[in-house]
Amino acid sequence: MLTEFGKIFIFFLAAIMFVVVAVLASKLLRPSRPTHEKLLTYECGENAEGSPWVKFNIRFYVVALIFLIFDVEVVLLIPWALVYKEAGIGGFLIGAVFLFLLGLGMAYEWRKGDLEWARPKITPPSLKENSIEQKITVNTQA
Amino acid sequence: MTNSLYLVKPEIVVTIVLVCIITFNLIFKDKPQALPWLSVIGLMITSYFVVEQFSYNSFAFASTDYKGLLVTDPFGAFFKILIVLSSVIVILFSISNKELDSAADRLGEYYSLIFGMILGMFFMVSAADLILIYLSVELLSLSSYVLAGFTKNTLRNSEASLKYVIYGGVSSGIMLFGISIVYGLTGTTNLYEINSLIQAPQINQITLLFAGILIFTGIGFKISVAPFHFWTPDVYEGAPVTITAYLSVASKAAGFALLIRFIKVTFIKSINAEGYWQVINVIDWKSFFILISIITMTLGNFAALWQNNMKRLLAYSSIAHAGYIMLGLVVMSNEGILAIIIYFTVYAIMNLGAFFIVMLIANKIGSEELDDYKGLGYSTPVLGISLAIFLISLTGLPPTAGFIAKLYLFIALVDAKMIGVAIIALLNTVVSLYYYIRVLKNMYLDKPGKEIPKFSASIPNLVLLIALVAPIIFFGIYFSPVVNLAKSSLTLFGF
Repeated sequence: MLTEFGKIFIFFLAAIMFVVVAVLASKLLRPSRPTHEKLLTYECGENAEGSPWVKFNIRFYVVALIFLIFDVEVVLLIPWALVYKEAGIGGFLIGAVFLFLLGLGMAYEWRKGDLEWARPKITPPSLKENSIEQKITVNTQA
Repeated sequence: MTNSLYLVKPEIVVTIVLVCIITFNLIFKDKPQALPWLSVIGLMITSYFVVEQFSYNSFAFASTDYKGLLVTDPFGAFFKILIVLSSVIVILFSISNKELDSAADRLGEYYSLIFGMILGMFFMVSAADLILIYLSVELLSLSSYVLAGFTKNTLRNSEASLKYVIYGGVSSGIMLFGISIVYGLTGTTNLYEINSLIQAPQINQITLLFAGILIFTGIGFKISVAPFHFWTPDVYEGAPVTITAYLSVASKAAGFALLIRFIKVTFIKSINAEGYWQVINVIDWKSFFILISIITMTLGNFAALWQNNMKRLLAYSSIAHAGYIMLGLVVMSNEGILAIIIYFTVYAIMNLGAFFIVMLIANKIGSEELDDYKGLGYSTPVLGISLAIFLISLTGLPPTAGFIAKLYLFIALVDAKMIGVAIIALLNTVVSLYYYIRVLKNMYLDKPGKEIPKFSASIPNLVLLIALVAPIIFFGIYFSPVVNLAKSSLTLFGF
């Protein structure tokens, strides 16, 4: 009397047990002699250096976003290209609209200067407590 | 499957206008002052196609005869008209909003995001499929998260946006969970199919009750009813006032349209001889809504008593109004829906008007605090009197349109023999009188601390103000056009 969800549950259980049994068994069997070198974070054999919490330039994310968009575009265009011949003019128009919108997004990035890596001047945004209150103080002084 | 693109003409036009605004902004970078007019023209064209939809009553994108993603019917068309109308007014507000000056180089994004919101709301109003409901709510939310923090250089603005995105993300996650449970129970996401499937006796009632309440959580967040209202005051206070006005009217209207369609299509078994809906015996929606609406309006009204910031006060007042509007759904009849539609027509005008004056005064004196409103009634008589009219209308006193709206609501309640609920709502109105009048007392009776020079609004703003005040007075005296419009837009597809 096993439902479909029951099978998935057993699958999950097996997956969890796989890890738990492996870790426990090795814990019981292996000798435990930790050294400084062994306790370091594993970074492909290199010595770990500095904190991982460094600030990345926010423009990496913009580039990553553009990459993601075009990656998804490829995924969506391949099935379109496969049925391109049968779909006719309607299918072409649908693809054209999609590509136009993507291209518009690219043009937007370009025009707004997000593709320029070396920008002349960067003004960091300053958070004011409340712009309105500041106006009042200026008004009363004047 | 026939071609049903002609049924989504308004949505197509909105999308085209959105693309046009972005393109225009990219090509003519130094002409942001043309953007609002481009948006208004786009909305005019949209409204033409929306009016056309009053005569439609069918599925769009139907794979078979009884299963479709979208529904076009007069009910949806009415709410779309309301959304278009409030969008036009909000875009006209935005021209003279001083808060937006700090973001003058990003105005293209502002207007295109507003169109993103409009598109989301259009789909919300006409969605008949759980997946489309979720997608449209997300489309609306994502645009409004960005807009709530649009003038990002002030602290309270960033705070509003962050709070909105966190609470909104959680609530839409909860809604998605509910949707997944309903799909697991019935194997379909179409509301009309769900309706026939959950009438079967073997449906697990408790699970369905749970799922229904989870989905209500997501919608309730959008219409800010208690206990899902907690984001409202902070977001409304922090967001630019134009966006606050927009969230309090358009986004709420779309949320209510979605709620009404969701309840009526999914959970109604039949309609009895007197016109009352017979709910499928799974969730006692009637008691649930009575509870929610009483909590909402009581909490909104009592919390508003202590507010000293105009935007926060109007935020709590809009929570209270969500409670009143909910009463129309409590009745579970077409009469209740009629009351909701009339209420929304009036509420849109008076709430937008109140926010407009808050914006005009903030443009001049740079404050939204009630203490700074002292003596304003004499230094700016036009704005003072208009604000008085809007606040009296929000209270629901004759001879304003707010009275007519509340009257229809109470008549519907009394007809359904729910006198007790009607009395609680009436007492709530009395409570609300106190805080609305307190604003007027500050404006007219209190002495200002310092001398305020006389000021008034510019001529175009005065014209816009009169265009908002006039219907409040006019519909208060001669209200049959509103009632007739509401009666003609009662038809939901399938009923």
